[in-house]
Amino acid sequence: MTSPQLEVRNLRKSYDDGRIEALRGVSLAIDAGEYIAISGASGSGKSTLLQLLGGLDVPTSGEVLFEGATLGTTINLDEYRAHRIGFIFQAFYLLPTLRAIENVQVPMLAVGGSANHRAERAKALLLELGLEHRLYQYPNELSAGERQRVAIARALANEPSILLADEPTGNLDSVNSARIIEILTGIQKTHGMTLIIVTHENDIAHAAPRHIRIRDGRIEA
Amino acid sequence: MVHQLSFAGFACKNLLRRRLRTLLTLCGIGMAIGAFVALVGFSRSFEHEWERLYSSSGTDIAVVDKNFMNTSVNESLTPKLRAVPVVAQAEPMIFNIMDITPDVNALIFGWHQDSYEFDSLTFTSGGRFQDGKPEIILGELLARNLNKKVGDTVQLQGSTFTITGIFHGGTALEAGALILPIDQLQILSSLQGKVSGFHVRLRPAPPGESPEHYLRRAQAEIEAALPGLNAQAAADRASNNQFVGLAHAVAWGTSCIALLMGILGIANTMAMSVFERTREIGILRAIGWKTWRVMMLIQVEAIVLGFVGGVLGIAFGIGGLHVLATLPQTASVISASFTWLHLVEALVISVLSGLIAGAYPAWRGSHLSPVEALRHD
Repeated sequence: MTSPQLEVRNLRKSYDDGRIEALRGVSLAIDAGEYIAISGASGSGKSTLLQLLGGLDVPTSGEVLFEGATLGTTINLDEYRAHRIGFIFQAFYLLPTLRAIENVQVPMLAVGGSANHRAERAKALLLELGLEHRLYQYPNELSAGERQRVAIARALANEPSILLADEPTGNLDSVNSARIIEILTGIQKTHGMTLIIVTHENDIAHAAPRHIRIRDGRIEA
Repeated sequence: MVHQLSFAGFACKNLLRRRLRTLLTLCGIGMAIGAFVALVGFSRSFEHEWERLYSSSGTDIAVVDKNFMNTSVNESLTPKLRAVPVVAQAEPMIFNIMDITPDVNALIFGWHQDSYEFDSLTFTSGGRFQDGKPEIILGELLARNLNKKVGDTVQLQGSTFTITGIFHGGTALEAGALILPIDQLQILSSLQGKVSGFHVRLRPAPPGESPEHYLRRAQAEIEAALPGLNAQAAADRASNNQFVGLAHAVAWGTSCIALLMGILGIANTMAMSVFERTREIGILRAIGWKTWRVMMLIQVEAIVLGFVGGVLGIAFGIGGLHVLATLPQTASVISASFTWLHLVEALVISVLSGLIAGAYPAWRGSHLSPVEALRHD
């Protein structure tokens, strides 16, 4: 029997000296290549769970395992984020001083490789996402949908095995939302990646093969 | 060719984001480095001119009291010094600085009319003075600043001196100097029978003895013959005399204060920049940038500020020293010459200033929690 790609064991996360409990004992196993939607009300703990899965934060207790190894002890969090994880955020978080093609190269600066390879890969990713005419635009010259596509290209830059998207359609209209979900699911299928989307939109949550609801820091179903 | 993003290019783009702030910071560090280049260049140029002053006259050893500024050496020791076997020629001399007019000050030397030190001078008009007479000769730079020629008179401490010659000296110190009979200078300074020291030319070193060893032996023999006096190699005297020491101390002291202000300017800019970019630093951490890489990005920005500020400062400093070399008040003691070493030193100091100034902002920025940084507004 193969171990899950990601496993969460009795995960707890509290803030403000324990006065606020964001997660109250979450356990979960995710296999490689799965597409999962996590939904819940605002403040339910879904984003906190995504941050812990992505190694952005450390749990108060419990552990997160990637391919059987514990994050933060056996696996260095910086290495994990650089090589295994691609993050997509609701607010895109593109760097405003850099052009689209430069933004996509930023994660690759963290892992080395030649400048030419970084630039070619960034271009290829942007072309794959239909942004061939927007390579040299700055973020403020792009539409919201285009910005999110640049952010997706950036998330894919280092060929991660897991894509984590935190409300990726939160700032988009319905047409662009549908396009972004289509792109993410397409990538998940063609690249065989694990895709975990945090969303409060029921349509997106129900369309996912596996849907996890979080309520008051616990998994409902 | 596809547009490539380099690490250094990324750092430069961050600096260009707030152009006015970056420009003001560059001006701050530029002024600090400019002050260093000009002031330390001034003091080194002064030292260099001293070295040339000794070498052009062929002086091997300066015999002085322990305190160079105190002209308390008895002139009557001259025969005793000349009797030392290694000594070929020994000349008493007085050295001082005097205000000739409220705007022009000059180095003033007292020599005997037959001193060997005249060998380094070339008269462009007139000739030597005579001992015992109120006569002087002027360096050409000083003559030009005073608008004087041979036959004119100069007032010194209420006494009138006639100019007998204008000379071209081998150094800026000589070009801006005034020389008069040693007895006249003793009267002017009310120190009859006293001199600043003696300049000595040695006999040639005996075959088989190295110049260095011969110089050390000659120093020892002179000091043995004249107890209580120091016989210093001319090159050491040039670099260690108290005028040069004072110039170095003032230059370095002032430069250090200016550099401190420059470092604080860069530190302030980098601290503000890190604060404003907290969320962006969180993004970099989220996409896998390690702590040290974020730290390096901020440090590279600070180093670029230091380097560009250093280049600006070198330009300011060279310009400033050229101005100083033409002013009547300072032209007599410096020449606007630079060594590559000095400019490299200025650049290294400016880059180090950037490193020091960026250290804390870099540490603070790189140790932000990614989640906390991403939440930052």
